[in-house]
Amino acid sequence: MMTLSDPKVYLSLLVFLPALGALVISLLPRLTDDSYKLISLAITIVVFLLTLGFFREGAPIAFEPGVAEMQNMFNLDWIPSFGIQYFMAIDGISFPLVVLTAFLSVLAMGASWPINKHVKAYCILFLLLETGMLGVFLALDFFLFYVFWEVMLLPMYFLIGVWGGPRREYAAIKFFLYTLVGSVLMLIAILMLYFNSDLTRLSAPQLAEAGILQTTEGETAEAALAKWAAGDNTLARKYAEITKETDLAQRKQLHTFNILALQQMGQHTDLFDSEVLWGKSIQWWAFLLLFIGFVIKVPSVPLHTWLPDAHVEAPTPISMILAGVLLKMGGYGILRICYPICPGAGYDLAYFVCFVGVLSMVYGAFAALAQKDFKRMVAYSSVSHMGYVVLGMGVWSAYADTGYVTDYWKMGTNGAMFQMIAHGISSAGMFFMVGVIYDRVHHRNLDQFGGLFAKMPVYSGLAIGIFFAGLGLPGLCGFIGEVFVVFSAFKYSPLLAVVSAGVVILTAGYILWAIQRVYLGAEYKGPHGEALTPMTMRELAIGVPLLAFAIVFGIYPTAMLNYMQPSIDRQVDRLAVWTQEHDARATAVNPRGGEEGQVALKDIF
Amino acid sequence: MINLPANPMLFANLLTEPVGVAHYVTVGAVLFVCGALCMATKRNALGVLMGIELVLNGANLNFIAFGSPYLRSDAHNLGLDGQLMALFVIVLAAAEAAVALAIALNFYNNHDSIDVDRAAQLRG
Amino acid sequence: MTAWLVPLASFVLIVLFGKFMGPHGKGAGYLSVLAIVTSAILSLIALFGVWLPNHELPTPTHHTGEPASAGGDTKTSAGGEHAEHPNNAPPSAYFGNWYSLGEFGKLKLTIGYYIDSLTLGMFCMVGIIASCVHFYALGYMHDELHEPFVDHEVTLTSGEHLHRKGRFYRFFQYLSLFCFSMFGIVISGNLAMVFVFWELVGICSYFLIGFYIERHSASTAANKAFIVNRVGDFGMLIGMMALWSSVGTFAFGDLKNKEGDVVEVGLFSQLRTEENHYHLAPTQEIIAEESRMTGEPASAGGATESPTNKPGQWLLLIAGVGIFCGCVGKSAQFPLHVWLPDAMEGPTPVSALVHSATMVAAGVYLVGRFYPVFTPETLLVIAYIGCITLLIAATIAITATDIKRVLAYSTVSQLGYMMLSLGLGGWVAGMFHLITHAFFKGLLFLCSGSVIHAVHTNDMTQMGGLRKKMPITAYTMLVGCLAIIGAGIPLSNFGLSGYYSKDAIIEQAWSFANANPQHQILKWAPIAGAMITAFYMFRLWYLTFAGKPRDQHRFDHAHESPRVMTTPLIVLAIFAVAIGWPIFHVTDLLEQGRPVGTQATTHGELLTALVIPDEHLSHEPAIKTPAGIAAFCTAAAGLLLATVIYLWRMLNPDELKQSFKPVHAFLWNKWYFDELYHYLFVLPTKGIASIASWFDRGIIDSILHGSAAICRTGSKVVDSLFDQTMVDGTVDTFASGTWNFGLWLRRLQTGSLRQYVMFIVVGTVLLFVMITFAQSYLTPS
Repeated sequence: MMTLSDPKVYLSLLVFLPALGALVISLLPRLTDDSYKLISLAITIVVFLLTLGFFREGAPIAFEPGVAEMQNMFNLDWIPSFGIQYFMAIDGISFPLVVLTAFLSVLAMGASWPINKHVKAYCILFLLLETGMLGVFLALDFFLFYVFWEVMLLPMYFLIGVWGGPRREYAAIKFFLYTLVGSVLMLIAILMLYFNSDLTRLSAPQLAEAGILQTTEGETAEAALAKWAAGDNTLARKYAEITKETDLAQRKQLHTFNILALQQMGQHTDLFDSEVLWGKSIQWWAFLLLFIGFVIKVPSVPLHTWLPDAHVEAPTPISMILAGVLLKMGGYGILRICYPICPGAGYDLAYFVCFVGVLSMVYGAFAALAQKDFKRMVAYSSVSHMGYVVLGMGVWSAYADTGYVTDYWKMGTNGAMFQMIAHGISSAGMFFMVGVIYDRVHHRNLDQFGGLFAKMPVYSGLAIGIFFAGLGLPGLCGFIGEVFVVFSAFKYSPLLAVVSAGVVILTAGYILWAIQRVYLGAEYKGPHGEALTPMTMRELAIGVPLLAFAIVFGIYPTAMLNYMQPSIDRQVDRLAVWTQEHDARATAVNPRGGEEGQVALKDIF
Repeated sequence: MINLPANPMLFANLLTEPVGVAHYVTVGAVLFVCGALCMATKRNALGVLMGIELVLNGANLNFIAFGSPYLRSDAHNLGLDGQLMALFVIVLAAAEAAVALAIALNFYNNHDSIDVDRAAQLRG
Repeated sequence: MTAWLVPLASFVLIVLFGKFMGPHGKGAGYLSVLAIVTSAILSLIALFGVWLPNHELPTPTHHTGEPASAGGDTKTSAGGEHAEHPNNAPPSAYFGNWYSLGEFGKLKLTIGYYIDSLTLGMFCMVGIIASCVHFYALGYMHDELHEPFVDHEVTLTSGEHLHRKGRFYRFFQYLSLFCFSMFGIVISGNLAMVFVFWELVGICSYFLIGFYIERHSASTAANKAFIVNRVGDFGMLIGMMALWSSVGTFAFGDLKNKEGDVVEVGLFSQLRTEENHYHLAPTQEIIAEESRMTGEPASAGGATESPTNKPGQWLLLIAGVGIFCGCVGKSAQFPLHVWLPDAMEGPTPVSALVHSATMVAAGVYLVGRFYPVFTPETLLVIAYIGCITLLIAATIAITATDIKRVLAYSTVSQLGYMMLSLGLGGWVAGMFHLITHAFFKGLLFLCSGSVIHAVHTNDMTQMGGLRKKMPITAYTMLVGCLAIIGAGIPLSNFGLSGYYSKDAIIEQAWSFANANPQHQILKWAPIAGAMITAFYMFRLWYLTFAGKPRDQHRFDHAHESPRVMTTPLIVLAIFAVAIGWPIFHVTDLLEQGRPVGTQATTHGELLTALVIPDEHLSHEPAIKTPAGIAAFCTAAAGLLLATVIYLWRMLNPDELKQSFKPVHAFLWNKWYFDELYHYLFVLPTKGIASIASWFDRGIIDSILHGSAAICRTGSKVVDSLFDQTMVDGTVDTFASGTWNFGLWLRRLQTGSLRQYVMFIVVGTVLLFVMITFAQSYLTPS
């Protein structure tokens, strides 16, 4: 049945509606620029309404809060000979990001009105970008994920390179090359994992968990497996054929791109434990490659220098999307892919991950303090804030010394996730606020502002509110994530936690200093002072929702935690169970235990 | 060392032998060589045409000889195929002569000569 | 307790509709006043109508908090084994949660409430003072109602003074938000919520200090205040993290279900258990956490305890000092006191409310609230910080000429007194001083504001003789001055409010010094401070109100303030006089809120020689009498000195200044703290910042560009070497070879028929020969 209540149709529509819209726009006859913008805006709004449809209780596709499992899952064969599937679902990790993406797309499209150059092409690329972004968050097939990841890259390149500022070509190529390096590393890791994966090693419940089997009510997973293997499905036929071979040593492998299945393999089998290079296992290398790929996107020091350039040169709406959504993909990837698929490597490298996070926080804050360009300062603040995300994901504090208590780790990971959303709101807002004055006075030199509060009081009020959200003021969204992350980090490493807590001083420093130079003061010091007119209704309509959400999530974070916490908690619990089993194995391998046990643990990887 | 064919006395004994295929073939070869020489040496197009006729007829003689049941045992002759080929060549020669004469005539009309050395437009 | 929500509603309303309220937003002011008065009344009702009928005050003679400890011998001399002393049980309190910010297994961050008599006392104090200040501000901020408002302190590049719209409504909007946040701190049920509101009062303070946003000095002072506070918060975060990762809760009280059973054990109850007689003992979790951090194996059950190895004590010390760092920032204690004097850039009502009476006292309040977690060593740190602060600030106040800065340093100094008292074990004395100080310092600031309103300057050297022009202000301020120096009849039970609280502090210091002879300085510092306080306060009063006018022009324009401003002065003056009187039972109310386990004499664990004496010991006549006399004598001496110099002019201040020039310069420049911090912290930070920025552009990007260049060069080399010569070369050679071969073959194509025939013939013959030879070669012979 091809109805909207079918997740297949609904999710596909959600993802591909912007692309369809882009196609329609490209086929349309010559229209006025405004009508292209209106059509695009309408499409983004429809997409946003579609995401809101998940909130509708009782609907067949409704997203139920408090459920940890994947929801609205479906998979169809896409390229059966390689086991590639068209496989999508949402859970608590992706759901907030999907909504955020759709929401920010609407706002960014609204912020695109001042764009007057090649409007048709702009709208087409913008909509393609939206498809890519939504697809990345929804795809659960690694190949599909990769495809969307790349789909999103190219429109971004053109959006910066064509509609950007004076150094746009440089910035665009820098962005493109950085990201491409990341995705190439990711591709290598994907292939490494693919060729070492084996579906036949998974038990029936694990296969059901991975979305390969559909169990109906009251049916055991084993029965479902038997039914499925007998069924008429390319994958099932292969599975049946391979499992006919009873000698395990002779048996062929059944490779898969299914992310959920890979997670199961990473956590429950030793498929990825064989050594490949320099004494490190497959999963160690895969984790490292994936992590570098994602961390470029986050971005973390020292792989962050594309961000300031890209942000400074990109037009305002693209900066909003870039900061609000694209940076989140890195964090999402780490959470969805790196840790669950390669837990052993994650355990090994946890300190490295945390260190990268803290380094980004400190370094980004210092760099922001030194900037003269308003937008560049905001860009560095993004580097600093995303450091919290990386740190929060890295705090693997459930290990033997802490008695495998997962509470702090959950707090860190939830905090990281919350920080992603909060940063999506606050940084998009900050970039928008910078864009508003840039549209008026056409410069961004922090030393040449001043006195805006008197000239544009409403704007200044909104801007200061959003900047304070970035600063992590309680009652605004930035605070919750930061506090969760920092508190949980202490359990993992007091030193890193103390350093990260110290960043609050620097953050206050650069944001307050910027506010003082831009909004406060007696008079405006730069050119085009006469252009400083109050905000228009359109600008208000973009700025006010951002601040409103910043306040709502700051005061009542549970509104968001309700949706994402179960999924995150479940993942953390699983990884903690893995740690426990892993330690048990390590002690079994090396019964001397204690200190030596730690050494043995290193030897295994 | 060059390994020569088996019978070195082949040509010496021809005159003493009764008439057989070898004689026909010899005459055919002489005709062929004459024709070829004629083609190669005559500058007159008509002379060349005559040479062609000689070559064709030399070849015909061979076909006839190999196809004759009287000259060779049944097991080794071409039979009717030889005679058929000869007929075929004659027809072809007639057609060819017609076309060649037409070319020669046209050539003459254009060049006031039928000297084949002057017909070098086909030079690469 | 809806009292704290009323100002929030007011804030929200003013934010949204402030501009439309009455002419120039005057209605906003009235709304705000209405809200805060409602809050104050509700607080009073809560205290007198709900709390007191249900909770009988302890009788003053026994000084025992709860029946649990009533039978205990709380008056034994210091030095006995502490384990033998029964300690006081937790004070009765209401505790609960409203909603949760996040829950992770056992971990919970919630928004909740914790109400005991301290909360209510603070509520009433904040409510009353805030109401007075709001009223006062209606008059003081009247200028903002004018259109356009002329700011004489801001000169534009065109040479004119700034003209701008009035911002009356915005002032009250911030003030309401502040009151809401302040109430939030007081009512908080857990440390996380305290931190939330802690930051919120910080941001309100930021807005209020920087209210004159056009003045660069104001916005810089606001930044400074917020950032210095953040430095303190950094320490507080560390303390919170230490507690959070070990104890896993921030809750002050125990959460009970409907049947009254404890569901979740709060922070204090975990640290001071009933089995342990409410003595501070680190829990197993803390010990485990500390051993995890230090890498030493945890001693199971603390069985192997030795004098050098006290499990868990260090972590508790870190937690305590960390939390205290936050208080240092907020209460402007040394070394983070630098922001408070600068904060005087804000309008005077703000200074009165935020920067003297309430917000800066929040630090002291938190120390008081968090008292059960502090180990004796932490308390010693607190005491020393308080001691240093009170001396430094008092000395700086001697030379300052800005009337508000004198008061600001005085505030810092008095806060130092409170910290000192708390650090010495004088919990009630410290909190009592907090409340009395709030009243008289609020009064002093409002008086100074009234003066500034009249003469339009802060500089005391341009005042003088104003007593005649503005009598109400002058005499209420005199009351304030007398209250702050602790005027009273020694050894009697009569005096102004400061007399009781300050004497209590000095008594406690005396008692502490008796118990710890090595810490004598902690006894002499407050006594010396009392003298300096008396000196600078009366210097201020004499310079402002007595003598002859030094600036005739300003004097002529001076006038008494309108009634809306003087009435709050009188009200506060009455409170300043009377709030300390024993008949009002303020100390008893506080005694009722005494935190769990802080009554008995305790001994240091890490510093075993350290003794924190029981507070009630300080009321022994053997201590009370000398302390009272010392306090009175020093204060009188200070007063006398000020009178000699500034009223009777027997010593010329200018000559004194000359003769003590280096000292004066040192004090005038505030001990060079600002310069020190500038060179020590601000410049290096900026330096690192520019290095980081340069590193990005210079190193990382250079590496990138370098690698890009290398790639380009490399590809060029590959292109020219491999592609162009080898690959292209091969292909080209093949092509040209073919071409040349064709050209060569072309020569055969002569067009001559006869030659062709020759070729055919020769070719045929050659073919035959070849076949023949090939046959003879290939056939096996």
